[in-house]
Amino acid sequence: KKVPAAGFTQGISMEAMSENKMVPSDFSTGPMEKAAKPLPFKDPNFVHSGHGGAVAGKKNRTWKNLKQILASERALPWQLNDPNYFSIDAPPSFKPAKKYSDVSGLLANYTDPQSKLRFSTIEEFSYIRRLPSDVVTGYLALRKATSIVP
Amino acid sequence: MAANVFPFRDARAAPDPVLEAGPGALGPLPVPLVLDNGSFQARAGWACPGPDPGPEPRLQFRSVCARGRGGARGGAGPQVGNALGSLEPLRWMLRSPFDRNVPVNLELQELLLDYSFQHLGVSSQGCVDHPIVLTEAVCNPLYSRQMMSELLFECYGIPKVAYGIDSLFSFYHNKPKNLMSSGLIISSGYQCTHILPILEGRLDAKNCKRINLGGSQAAGYLQRLLQLKYPGHLAAITLSRMEEILHEHSYVAEDYVEELQKWRCPDYYENNVHKMQLPFSNKLLGSTLSSEEKQERRQQQLRRLQELNARRREEKLQLDQERLDRLLYVQELLEDGQMDQFHKALVELNMDSPEELQSYIQKLSSAVEQAKQKILQSEVTLEVDVVDSKPETPDLEQLEPSLEDVESINDFEPLFSEETPEVEKPVTTVQPVFNLAAYHQLFVGTERIRAPEIIFQPSLIGEEQAGIAETLQYILDRYSKDIQDLLVQNVFLTGGNMMYPGMKGRIEKELLEMRPFQSAFKVRLASNPVLDAWYGARDWALDHLDDDEVWITRKEYEEKGGEYLKEHCASNIYVPIRLPKQASRFSDTQAPGKGSGTSGGSAGEQA
Repeated sequence: KKVPAAGFTQGISMEAMSENKMVPSDFSTGPMEKAAKPLPFKDPNFVHSGHGGAVAGKKNRTWKNLKQILASERALPWQLNDPNYFSIDAPPSFKPAKKYSDVSGLLANYTDPQSKLRFSTIEEFSYIRRLPSDVVTGYLALRKATSIVP
Repeated sequence: MAANVFPFRDARAAPDPVLEAGPGALGPLPVPLVLDNGSFQARAGWACPGPDPGPEPRLQFRSVCARGRGGARGGAGPQVGNALGSLEPLRWMLRSPFDRNVPVNLELQELLLDYSFQHLGVSSQGCVDHPIVLTEAVCNPLYSRQMMSELLFECYGIPKVAYGIDSLFSFYHNKPKNLMSSGLIISSGYQCTHILPILEGRLDAKNCKRINLGGSQAAGYLQRLLQLKYPGHLAAITLSRMEEILHEHSYVAEDYVEELQKWRCPDYYENNVHKMQLPFSNKLLGSTLSSEEKQERRQQQLRRLQELNARRREEKLQLDQERLDRLLYVQELLEDGQMDQFHKALVELNMDSPEELQSYIQKLSSAVEQAKQKILQSEVTLEVDVVDSKPETPDLEQLEPSLEDVESINDFEPLFSEETPEVEKPVTTVQPVFNLAAYHQLFVGTERIRAPEIIFQPSLIGEEQAGIAETLQYILDRYSKDIQDLLVQNVFLTGGNMMYPGMKGRIEKELLEMRPFQSAFKVRLASNPVLDAWYGARDWALDHLDDDEVWITRKEYEEKGGEYLKEHCASNIYVPIRLPKQASRFSDTQAPGKGSGTSGGSAGEQA
């Protein structure tokens, strides 16, 4: 759609598939005029090839997030001992987790059966029993202990 | 009362000036640019040996950008890093190129690079004519390196680049030059914590491990803890303030359980709690909205409900009216004497006798009457409501919940500091006569040690991964005994999240627990855990200026693809897998790479 400007000659030929890229400096007067003046050290016709994904430029306009990148990396032909981003993940813990009070952080010996919050003293228990439900779910969500809604 | 009360600094960043590159940077050979591209902060500067332009990084800014206030203002464009000033008003508009510790949004990365180059005074026309040293994640995905190389070579036209790992650069900076180094690096940053074994100067990548917890998770945890404890101050407990608490008021307990026991004692609590003083605000107790806003909202809700009810009533009225008309018509049939039609209609209506019809008619008509009356009534009250902007009744309704809130919050106060009986209690009466300063204070007690503890015990926030100690043990167990000894002689701590007081002692204690009885180990902290990565990269660049075996040139980029990497003492391990070029250079066809063509295709289609 947009005719690439002459650009700085660097020996690269850029096929500008620049439908959606907002080029900060386009000397051919395009419909988009940015107030920022063009930065001299950049190539004004540069288009990210990652933007829009590998498929058609019009459809997929967002960048891949880490999950997607890792999913596609998994499909590559890795050998068993090659280090890559997901093989570096630390393993889950083997030791049983210590239980701490949700309210004060001290060691918790008791759990409230009604709200499943952990507490260590009687005062904490009465405090817990008076909490509004959103605070209770907040504490549970903090340690990822919220119950799954059926 | 005045003991341990700290105000929030709420520092604003000063915008960076556009610096002149200086004569040192424009020497005969192009001077390398060193950029420590971190998810928390980016640090950029020149790598020149002389005093000019100076040994420290000239730019340090948060790796975020946001559009100007109030939506995209015409022409202002997105602002980066220190030009944003305070981050809090823009918190929801901040965008970072990073997802965990990997840059995924290269457009935002481009903005950050623009900012860096511009403010460093890069003046070359048409391209950035300096070699660049850039940090990347440990075991950086090939795709993101490809994208990054593409950005650097195609957009900025740099001559050559070298990628390295920030913790390795920091290690390089901190070791004496002639020592053949092996060691174990524990590097904790903003998004994750890595444990990297180094054998004979090179990273042993297959035995590295990464725990996905760092400073940002600690700040988030602290924020939610305080917000749940002080629901009235939800908006004032901001992430920037949490970072301030972490940087200045938190520490790592050498023995977590023992330290908690100490905190049980009321005297210890009183002496060590840090009371963070929030700035004064006029808000009522227990509400984040002001009273007028609450009234407004109540009124709006009332109005909406009334309108809804009125509409429903009207519809019902209409239906009833129609039905009534029909029945009346049927009754007229009876009166007119058209018996057949009447009986037919009766059957249709499911009724047996004229009396039933009559009673039904009566019921319906009375219902219709009532409905009409009600509609008239509600219309009247609606008008009254609209006219009188501050009606009496909502006030009363409002006071009651606020009364309850006051009481319940006042009951909470003594329970927060359950270890101290004599903290100043707000008076439990209706009028807010109490210590205003104490109301606006956040008592940070055990939170001082809880938030930094998550990298040692990820189960605190529900993460399944093992903490630093267990992962350390796991890694050491993969080596033979003598290599274990070798590694443990040189344990090196780096990264901003390692700067808590007491961190070194804690790691030493963990090592003591896991190593054989009376074996030796040594733990060192980096001289400047935050900036050493940049300094190390600069030293490395100066040492390797002429070494062609470590820089990736433009030609090599074009031949071997963006994911190509040249290994050196501070780099990742390169696994030679080709990725296909991402499409948009060739109009419709995808260029299949050598090797993994199909995966490239599937990479594109993944939603």
